[in-house]
Amino acid sequence: MRTYLIDEDKNELVIDITRTIVHSSEMVEFHYAMLEDNNFVKEEKIFVRRLSGQYFSSFDKVCWKKLARQDLPKHISDIDKVYNVFRGYKPSGLSTGQEGELLTQMPGKVIKIIVKEGEKVEKGQTVIILEAMKMENEIKSPTNGTISDVHIKEGQALEQNVLMMEINPE
Amino acid sequence: MINKRVLIINRGEIASRVAKACRELNYVPVGVWTDNEVNARHLEFCDEWIHLPGNTNAETYLNIEKIVTLAKEHKIDAIHPGYGFLSENADFAEALRKEKIIFIGPNTNAIINMGDKAISKKVALEAGVPVVPGTSEAVPSIEEAIKVAKEIGYPVLLKAVAGGGGRGMRRCNSSQEVQDNFDAVNREAKSSFGKGDLLVEKFIVNPRHIEVQILADKKGNIFHFFERECSIQRRHQKVIEEAPSPFIGDDEDLRSKICNAAVKLARQVNYDSAGTVEFIMAEDKQFYFLEMNTRIQVEHPITEEITGIDLLVCMIQSAFGVDLEIPSQDWITKNGHAIECRICAEDPITMLPSPGVVTGFETNFPQGTRFDNSLYKGLNVTPDFDPMVGKLITKGIKRSIAIRKMKAALDGLLIEGLKNNIPLLKVIIEHDDFIKGNYSTSFIEEKSPQSKIDKTLDHKKFYKILAGVEARRMGM
Repeated sequence: MRTYLIDEDKNELVIDITRTIVHSSEMVEFHYAMLEDNNFVKEEKIFVRRLSGQYFSSFDKVCWKKLARQDLPKHISDIDKVYNVFRGYKPSGLSTGQEGELLTQMPGKVIKIIVKEGEKVEKGQTVIILEAMKMENEIKSPTNGTISDVHIKEGQALEQNVLMMEINPE
Repeated sequence: MINKRVLIINRGEIASRVAKACRELNYVPVGVWTDNEVNARHLEFCDEWIHLPGNTNAETYLNIEKIVTLAKEHKIDAIHPGYGFLSENADFAEALRKEKIIFIGPNTNAIINMGDKAISKKVALEAGVPVVPGTSEAVPSIEEAIKVAKEIGYPVLLKAVAGGGGRGMRRCNSSQEVQDNFDAVNREAKSSFGKGDLLVEKFIVNPRHIEVQILADKKGNIFHFFERECSIQRRHQKVIEEAPSPFIGDDEDLRSKICNAAVKLARQVNYDSAGTVEFIMAEDKQFYFLEMNTRIQVEHPITEEITGIDLLVCMIQSAFGVDLEIPSQDWITKNGHAIECRICAEDPITMLPSPGVVTGFETNFPQGTRFDNSLYKGLNVTPDFDPMVGKLITKGIKRSIAIRKMKAALDGLLIEGLKNNIPLLKVIIEHDDFIKGNYSTSFIEEKSPQSKIDKTLDHKKFYKILAGVEARRMGM
């Protein structure tokens, strides 16, 4: 079964099970690999064993590490990345933030809009102040350019992935 | 005899913690749930569950009128506010007093006096406790702020009169920065605390944040429970706390000086509950009073671990006028060293909140680990509340052992599905300067531990998670 992991920047990891061997009702072996340029790479055997209701994994059947029990999760997190998980299919039509489009990364409230339409901005310049989780967050311009559209108002509450502002890159 | 009923107006780990203390004392813990958090895990520890209708905090945990009505309706004897929300709100305490409901916290005057930075500074001076040089009253304008800053010398700190928890304050290195930051701090203060008044004070370079735990009863007995050090901070919010302070170390003279100063201040305001007196300590070990928190604090467990005394239980006993079972100050002793890591749903690199759903949660801890938390598989961390989801606490007979246990505990804490600060905490715990106890409140800013997090894509990590999911799907 193929699984697609797609992060917030639309980077894609394709992971495939190449073989499944059921050893007993308590232990199963999977062969996993990543698909890169139509080739399987980083192939690994991994064993999962159930022990008193908990799940442990091992790459050598000697060293076992506890796993957090999960049903098919919608997200897998890794350090500073969160991947959307798609098992068995690849989604199409995911909105891709173009260069110069400012999308909300998390739900929040617009505290202040610092720039106006038509204004020139530099990369890294603060353009919006958003409040989320009781904190003020400065939203910075990702590029040098001119503000072409402002789609939000001060005081407005925003969901995740809302287009706030468009910038014409220089 | 009918058991006393304690209503807990809070959520998350602290609501669970209060409920456990109530059960020990044979009081009935009564919990609340709101419309946007129907699956409130803290109810698990409560004997009665009440619906507190509403979606926003203003409609629920901050709504004094609604809470008082609810308390009367359910014949509540006492209310514990936890931390945050109404825990330091004098109007709330007063509203309860009028209805003859016990507020589990200090008397209203103590809240008023300590809740206002300008007044609390004055009180500290009256008690003979040193304070940081600066204005004792709100500065009316940017111009005035710049004038004061020039007098006391840069760098200065702009901060909200009514502030706390690190919100509503900013360092300014020049008059230009005062100019740039004044409005933002003012705005943050207004939105967070309802009051935009700002103070200017001297910014102490490389300060240590050291605080003293106080516990007092209604008969005038005031005890200290030694100090905690909370210098590992980001954006003025604590990340790692430890007790005792590695900076004070074996200097028992200094320890008794700072602890006695805290008791003196508490006495000055007739303090009569659990509270914390916060100080900053300069490089020369001179300490200055910062503020007093008139509530139980997030990091209280580390004090409980080294003293063996349950602060929540004592706080509730104090409120009910029950004997604290503490014969004298000398009876309170400390043993070993405890560390707490705040586990937050945030990006470990940017340290910004990162809401999401916990898809898996499991622990595999070393002996003696304490994990006060509100986590469960399926928990939805929303932007409505603080991103802290748990507090990991380890203890050792000496500091190096507490650190060793913390490292193992962090390795054994599995939270899947959302970004969390565990990778950052691991780097800090293993940082040379942390191990040596050689750090100040600017540790994160200066040493940038987040840049040392190994971000190499580890395919095995993904295989492990997916294999676990697959095995479960196969019905194993």
